[in-house]
This record gives sequence, structure tokens and C-alpha cells, in this order.
Amino acid sequence: MTIQLISANHASAMAATLAGRANRNARGFGGGVYPITPQTECIELLCRQQFDKGSIVRVESEHSAMAVCMGMSVSGARTFTASSSNGLAYMAENVYAAAFSRLPIVMMAVNRTLGPPWNIWVDHGDTLMLRDAGWIQLYCQDNQEVADSIIFSYRLAEDARVLLPAMVCQDAFVLSHTMMETDLPEQEQVDRYLPDLDLPHRVKFDPVMIGGLDFPRETEVHRRQHQEALERVFDVYGECQDEFEEVFGRRPPDPVVPYCMDDAEIAFVSMGTTSSTTDTVVDKLRAEGIRAGSVRVRMYRPFPEKALTEMLANCERVGVLDRDISLGLGGVLWSEVRGCAPRALVQGYMLGLGGGDVRPQHIESLFRELAASSSAAAPKLVEVG
Amino acid sequence: MANQSLEIRLHGRGGQGGVTCAKILATVYSRLGKSVQTFGDYSGERSGAPVRAYTRVSDGPITNRNKVYEPDHLLVLDDNLLGETTVAGLAEGGALVVNTAKCEDDLAGDLGAWQLATVDATAIARRHGIGTRSVVIVNTTIAGAFCRVLGIDLAVLEETYEGLGFSSNFAAAKEAYEAVCVREDWESRGATADISVAALPEVGELVEHTHSPPTGLLTGSWSSQRPAYMEKLAPCSAWCPAGNDVVGFVRAAATEGEEAAAHILGRTTPLSATCGRVCPAPCMEGCNRAEYDGSVNIRGLERIVADNFPVARANRAPAADARSVAIIGGGPAGLAAAYELARAGQRATIFEHEAELGGVLRTGIPTYRLPREVLDQEVNGILALGVQARCGESVDAEQLGALAEEYDGVLLATGLQRLRGLDIPGAELGGIGQGIEFLHGVNLESAAGPLELSGHVVVLGGGNTAMDCARSALRCGAERVTVAYRRTRDAMPAIAEEIVEADHEGVVFLTQRQPVAFHPSVQDGARLGSLELAEVEMGEPDESGRRSPVVTDRTERLACEHVLLALGQSADLSCLPAGWQLEDDGRIDTGASAPKAAVRAAGDVTTWEGTVTHAIGSGRRAAGLLMVAAGIDVEVFERPDRARAVPATAIRFDHFEKREPALDRAADAAARVTDLREANLGLEDSAEALRCFSCGKCTECDTCLVYCPEGIISRHTENGRQRGYAVDESFCKGCGICVEECPRESMEMIEL
Repeated sequence: MTIQLISANHASAMAATLAGRANRNARGFGGGVYPITPQTECIELLCRQQFDKGSIVRVESEHSAMAVCMGMSVSGARTFTASSSNGLAYMAENVYAAAFSRLPIVMMAVNRTLGPPWNIWVDHGDTLMLRDAGWIQLYCQDNQEVADSIIFSYRLAEDARVLLPAMVCQDAFVLSHTMMETDLPEQEQVDRYLPDLDLPHRVKFDPVMIGGLDFPRETEVHRRQHQEALERVFDVYGECQDEFEEVFGRRPPDPVVPYCMDDAEIAFVSMGTTSSTTDTVVDKLRAEGIRAGSVRVRMYRPFPEKALTEMLANCERVGVLDRDISLGLGGVLWSEVRGCAPRALVQGYMLGLGGGDVRPQHIESLFRELAASSSAAAPKLVEVG
Repeated sequence: MANQSLEIRLHGRGGQGGVTCAKILATVYSRLGKSVQTFGDYSGERSGAPVRAYTRVSDGPITNRNKVYEPDHLLVLDDNLLGETTVAGLAEGGALVVNTAKCEDDLAGDLGAWQLATVDATAIARRHGIGTRSVVIVNTTIAGAFCRVLGIDLAVLEETYEGLGFSSNFAAAKEAYEAVCVREDWESRGATADISVAALPEVGELVEHTHSPPTGLLTGSWSSQRPAYMEKLAPCSAWCPAGNDVVGFVRAAATEGEEAAAHILGRTTPLSATCGRVCPAPCMEGCNRAEYDGSVNIRGLERIVADNFPVARANRAPAADARSVAIIGGGPAGLAAAYELARAGQRATIFEHEAELGGVLRTGIPTYRLPREVLDQEVNGILALGVQARCGESVDAEQLGALAEEYDGVLLATGLQRLRGLDIPGAELGGIGQGIEFLHGVNLESAAGPLELSGHVVVLGGGNTAMDCARSALRCGAERVTVAYRRTRDAMPAIAEEIVEADHEGVVFLTQRQPVAFHPSVQDGARLGSLELAEVEMGEPDESGRRSPVVTDRTERLACEHVLLALGQSADLSCLPAGWQLEDDGRIDTGASAPKAAVRAAGDVTTWEGTVTHAIGSGRRAAGLLMVAAGIDVEVFERPDRARAVPATAIRFDHFEKREPALDRAADAAARVTDLREANLGLEDSAEALRCFSCGKCTECDTCLVYCPEGIISRHTENGRQRGYAVDESFCKGCGICVEECPRESMEMIEL
């Protein structure tokens, strides 16, 4: 293993490269790529890599980038692409198509504010827009997790019980461009962790039609199968964690990551790097004797409702920190978490929209406000920018 | 739990490499075994914009992901950025490393609360050539200063640079490490009132977003440099020995027309139509387009412009206090001097021993290269300015002394009159003659009918005289012409095109041959029958880099009827009165005689440079010096410094479409050798001028305007006409993109 001081964008490219090369004895590796800030560094580095089998195709749009991935995947190759923000919006049609075709494509998405007006900084609204597309979605908290999650996602997505695409999300700049010491595994380890991709429905010699016509009955069947596959992810996830730990010596985080939750009376739920900032605040509040806790939702789809409900069962107050807004409702995460804590006061906060620098002081003031409140108010948009 | 990590914040400008600098510091600490995190403050990242970067260091895992608000140490890459918001939050006693050329007292604000360290990293980085044409990159340099202040071993930095592939920048970092000036007697004086550590931005109340973002941010205050439009020296103009505004006339031909171009040429030379035919065109050698798709055919353009628009020159009444200058010799140097004098309102009189003015242009250059009517028109143009010509008058030493008493100035421009002979057996045989004399005969007799030659003619020499002799001999009845030269063909001093034309016309070149004897004809013992040539091998290069010929004893005989010697000429100074001495710089030391006139020499007689264009420049300069000596305030022409010319590397080739040069049209080689009609027919039109890069001279191409990322360059109008561009300084951040993109180096960044 080699430890390098690199950005999460570069870590993503190297992780995808290792995973791609691991399929060299099967149908190889490839993908279509199209640049967009803040993802560009990732695909630039990826395009400079050599692959024994397959290649990275530079296309003219995100829509085509995903189309290339679908074409390669359906022929049995391991595939990767990366995008962000409005690029994902343009790609959306094929994002759905990839999942409906049950293709285990892995996409790295850098979370960036949708425009116009243009804003390049972090906001989770772009990938949350695709929450219903039938993909697995993981939201990362640090550089190492981004790299590990890409390798981990291939194992999860390609499992015969799953066969779904996976999206590895990371915060723009706070992760994508921040350099930290990152442990990149050896090829031999990745080879051991990722078996050759053997896509059961891959196109071989006989002509087949993929994406034909569904009547209501067929659609009902397809949606049920898709839903069941997502439900199976929770079990397969655990196996993939065990094997990962065995090969690489560290365990990828659970779908839901608790921090000081055993006896927490007040807890904040969040995703991405907001969570580690929240953990810092929990440390401070605990030192004051306040029974505070923090919950990070790492896997957003399939939604870990059961784990969250168990974790929040004893909390009196739950704050949800959304770095997004479903306009006309409130935070997207909040709208789902409030069903997981039926007995608690659940308050939604939206902060760090458009990439505002969320500091511990911000979150601390929200803890104190929530601790003092007796009933939930409408979701609040907090100004930090 | 309070954050226990060490935090460093860095302030710089887009393009200085701040983010990389923060990464370097993180890598250094990583090598020291710490956990690190480093990131930039990404925004509208553009050259010149203020940027921040951060490095966090910790003994344990780093969970904090915010920007750094309370840094332990601060690096400032541009001292203009120093101010309250920059030092905000810096821990008391923290290191404050500033890149500055100023001394501490001149830096903004009271910095007494911190361990101030200053270093002129920009100067060091510039000396080490780190950066681009418009921006010096200081990151790798100032990291050295930081290590010194923080007590980090330089060896760690050296290893870091090896790991990052920055080893070539280490010397600069080491220099900064050694040069950084740390306040010696420093002791924290505490934060003072007027620059109290500015309050951290407060955690906002839960407010409604009612205010709009600020508008009208005057980004011009960020800049430390500005673009400036300036005219620079184009290589064609720099290389022109006559001092013509070459780029000026070519651009005028492209934009304003041939007449405007002819007027620009007329400011410096009376002989454009002549030079457009016989000049070796150093301008074309210098032309930056040669590095791309071939030089602009400047000589062809000069010819077509001058042919189509001979500058009409009205007689100018000499000034009331006009000085009189006697010019000995009516060749190009004398003519140019007379022109320069007449245009300045002085009286010039040319003494010419031939019947007409022109010198070597008339007697030496054959009419198929320079038709007489072209020369006559230019000579008449000079005379039209009021220049007096006294043709048919030779000047001897006695007369020269007298002229020096009669006139205010005397200019000796007699050229090279002494011909080099060949002292080998048989040199007295009939049929052997001097090439210059042959040309003289051909040229002056041509009206009456050309001189007759016959049989095989051998020309000895490799210069322009040799080519003129060879090509003229063909036109005078020679059945066969051979040029024998003792070095290689590449080493021939003749204009390359002349050699090619001679080749086309059937001249045979016999190189690396040295004549050793002439042998008489069998039929007539008094006449030449053959020439004995020894083979020559090229030996070691001499001081000038030319390989000197080594004559062998392998010889051969070449049967021939005539030999023309074109072995070079030298100055005949017998016309100088006793005691007068010609100095190297063209001055004539008149010794004890102290005549009334200032006396100088110009042209080949002093320079030996041997081309019309050099003679023109020399004549112009001598005329100016004589006027100054006579108390007239004029600008003396000085040959431009070629080293100052815009180099080809400064031209953005990709802004120009590739296009082959337009070549001169040539008359059919077989037909043209039968008479003395002009062989080169010149260009068809002046469209070739459009190929000019216009090096160093703005063409209002709008590239700067198009590339400006801020959209703050606008066309500037004066009297309803566009004249260049205006840069809105309130918004110019000094990013340098316009300068980088300028296709022709007519812009430069200047420090504010």
C-alpha cells in the first residue's frame, strides 16, 4: 500500500483504475467521460491511465457519457464515469436507464449546487434529484472513504443478488479538491476483492433487445424486482464490508454511522462532511455533560429506515441537517428521517446551501436552539455563507 | 473539544501557486510524521484574484473540514494583500511570513503582534526563472522562508521537492531560506488597537435571506500589475541596415494602401525601387514568419510599392542658415547622405567622376537586375529636392583639401575602387580581365549595344560581382560560363537568390577550386587557352567560423577563352591629402590641417559591407553626424539593436493561418539570357503584405478584448476613429491573459 497526499478527485480516479484493471481477465474496463467542475481533475487523471483491456472514451456530453457506460457494461465490461450538478441533470435520462437495465455501473458524483445562477460549491441537491432513479447512493465523509467506497461499490453493485448501479457522492471542494493522506491499495489486493465481472444478461453472440417495450404488467414485475434487489443490498452490504476488512485491513462504515448515540437524548442527522463537523460539536457538548449524539447517513439509497429508527428510538429531540432543499417542502433528508423518529421532536434545518462553510459554531448554536425548543417548527433555512 | 491541530493560512493571488504552496507545507509535515489536510479556497479562480489556501496539521486524525479562521501561522504571497481581513484571527505570536521587497516599516498596519518574517520571493523566483511570461510563481520559493521561520530542516524540504518533482525549484527555496529576514529582537507587543485582530465573522442568527449579494466589486484593487499597450521593435525593422520602418510600410501596404506605404519608405530611403530589386534583404532573414511558414517577401513588397508610387519630391528651399556639404561619390552612400541632408533643409553637392550619378548601381549592377529607368527615376527624385550634381568631376587630394575649406562638411563616399588581381603565372595573357571593368563596359555600353564575348568564360570568385559577371557574360555571347570558387557553394557571399538564378540560367559552379596558372592558347601564344585549377580541401574553421581552404597539389586544366576576376575590391584612399587619416568609425582625422569643414567617410570606403542597404544606412548616419558637427540639431540615425527585436518565441503562431509566401515572378530563363531585359518581374500585387505578423505593433485585432475574462477591455476611439484599446483599471485584476494571448507581443505587463 502506498500513502499519498492527494485530493479525493485523484483518489477516485486511482480507485476506479485499480477496480478497472482487476477486470482485465474478463471483459475489461471503460466508460464515457465528460468534464465538469469540480469533477474534472478526476477524469483528467483517469484518462491518463493505461488499461490492458478497454478504454476511457471522451464524449461530448454527460448524456453520452452514461450511454457509453451502458453500452460497455451491457457487453460485460466494468464501467466508471463521474459527473456533477447540471451535468447530472443532463445525464438524468440515462441514469434511470442504467438502473432499469440493471447494469452495475459505478459513478463518482461530486455534489455541487445546481444552477443557474452558477455556483460551483457543495450542495447535495444534484444527486438527491436522482434519489428515485434506482441506484445505490453512498455519501462520503473523507478522502479515504471516497477511494474505498468506489472499490467497495463495485463489489456491492456486481453481486448477483444486486446488479444495480452505484453512485459514490462526495462534497465539492471540501473533499474533491482537498488533499489528505490517502492509502491506495495494491492491485493484487483489489484483484482479490473484486472477482471478474460476470454479468448474467450480458450481450454475447445472439442478438437480444434491451430496453424494449413494457406493458403495465411487465412494468409491475420489473419495479418489484428492482425494489427487491435494493432490499437485498442491506445483507450483501455486510458481506462486502467483511471481505473488504479481510483484504484491506479496514472496515468501510455501515450504512448509518452513529456517534455517541448509545444514550443520546438530542441527536443531529446529516450526510457528507457536515457529519464530521457535527461530531466535533458533540465532543464539546458531551464535555459539558449534554447527552448529544450524531448520526451520519452514509447510504441514502436504499434508505436505511430500520437502522435509523432503532438508532433514534430513545432520542427526545432530533435535528436534521440538510445540505439541500426540496423547494416547496424543506430538507430532503428531513422529510425521510421524520418518519424514523415517531416519538421525537424532529426539526429540519437547511444549512450550507450553495457551499457555505459550515463551522462547528453554526451547528452548536442549532443544538442549543433545538435543546430549548418545545415543538417542531417549519424547516429552517440557516445562513452561513 | 478544542481543535488541537496546527493551522496555517496562506493568502496569495491566482497564478502565484498558493494552493500548491499549501500542499508543499502539508507534504513537509507529512514527512515529519503528522496527519495533514490541505485545500484551496476555490472561488472565481482567476489569475490575480485574491485566493486563500489552508494547511492543517495534527498528531491524530483530522475531522475538521472548515476553512481556517484562527491560523497559528500566516503566509502572505503579495504584500498588497496585507490588511485587516488578511491577518484576521492570526494567533498572537504566530509567524507572519510575507513576500515583499519593502522593509518592515513600509508594510501596511502594525504587525507587532506577530513574528514577522520578510523575503523578496518574487525577485528570487524571477532570478531562477520560475513562472510564465506574465506571472512569477513564488510558491516553491517562499516555502523555503517558511521552513526557516518554523525551524524545519531544509533537508526535509529538499526531499519534499524531490517527491513532488519540484527539484529544479529547490535552489530558489534554499535562497529564500537563507535570505529571509526575521525580526531579531521580536517580542510580542500584543495586538494594538488600530489593527486589532479583526473579529471573526459571527455565526449568523437564523435570519431570512433578504439581502442581495454585493454588486460592483472593484476588482482593480486586487492587482499589482497592469497590461500596457506598447510598440516594440519588429525584427524586420531591427535588421534593416538602412533604418527603414519595415513593419510600418508593410502594414501600411496591407491596411492603407501602397501609396501610404511608399511615403513611409520615403522617410528613410531614396532608393526603394532599387533596394526592392538588389537588396539582400536582411529584413527577410530576421522575419519571424520564417520560423512558421516562410518570411514575408518584403523585398518584393518594397519593389511593387515603390514602382507603383514613386514618391514625388518637390524642391525644398534650403533653410536660411543651411549648411553646405560636399559629397565625393554619387553611389548609394552619397545619394542617401544627400537625400538626408536635403530633407533636413541643407545644401548637398555631389561630385561624381562618371557622367551620371548612381555609382556601382549604374556601373556595377547589370541592367537585367536594375533597369536604368528605375535608377534614373530615383536619382531624379533626389535631384528634385535641390541636390546639386557635379558629374564628370574627379576629386584629388588637392581638391579635397580645398573643398574642406569651401564647404561646412565633406563626405567621402567613393566606395571600393581598387581591384584585387591574381599573381600567378600567365596573368598577362590576353582574355583575362577584371570583372568590375567588364561590368562597367557592359553597363555603360549597353545603350550602344552589349560587349561581345565568345566561347567558354570562367569567372573567379563567389560574391555578387561574380554572379553579375557570370550572368552578364551569358547575355554577351558566352557559349558557356563557369564560376570557380575556392570554398563550398554554401560559403559563397553572393545573395542566395542570385546564385539560384545563375544556376537556372545555365551557369556551371565549380567549387573548392583555386587558380594556380593560366596557360596560353595553342593557336595564339599571347591569348589564354586554359586555366589550371587546384583542388581545395576545407580545413579548420578560422576565428569567424569559416573553414579556411587548403590548396592541394591535385590540379586540372580547364580550357577557356576568357577569365573574369571577381576576387574583391578595396578602398582607394589616394584622394586623401597628406596627413589625413581614415579612422575605423568613419571619421577622417585631418591632422594638423584643421580645415573649416567636418570631414567623414561613409559607405564601402569605410565599412566594406558591400550592399546598397548598408551604404544607405552609413550615408544617412554620416549626414546626420556632419549636421550635428555643423551645429544643427537633428536626430542622427543609428542602426537598431537587433537584440531588442521581438523574438519569434513571443509570437503566438496559432493565431495565424499558415500561408505560403508569394514569390517574385521570374522571366523564362532560356529567353531572358538573350538580352538585358529585367529577369525578375516582381510580385503581382501587394497582398503578400497581409502575411505580416506585425511583430510588436498592435493591429487592433481584438484578441485582447476577446480574451479578457472580465470583459473590461474596450475599443478606444479618438476623433471618431478607433485608436487602440482602453483597459478599465477599476476592474483589471492584472491577470495577464491579454498579454499572454496577444498574438504579436504589442502588450506587456507593467508593475504598479
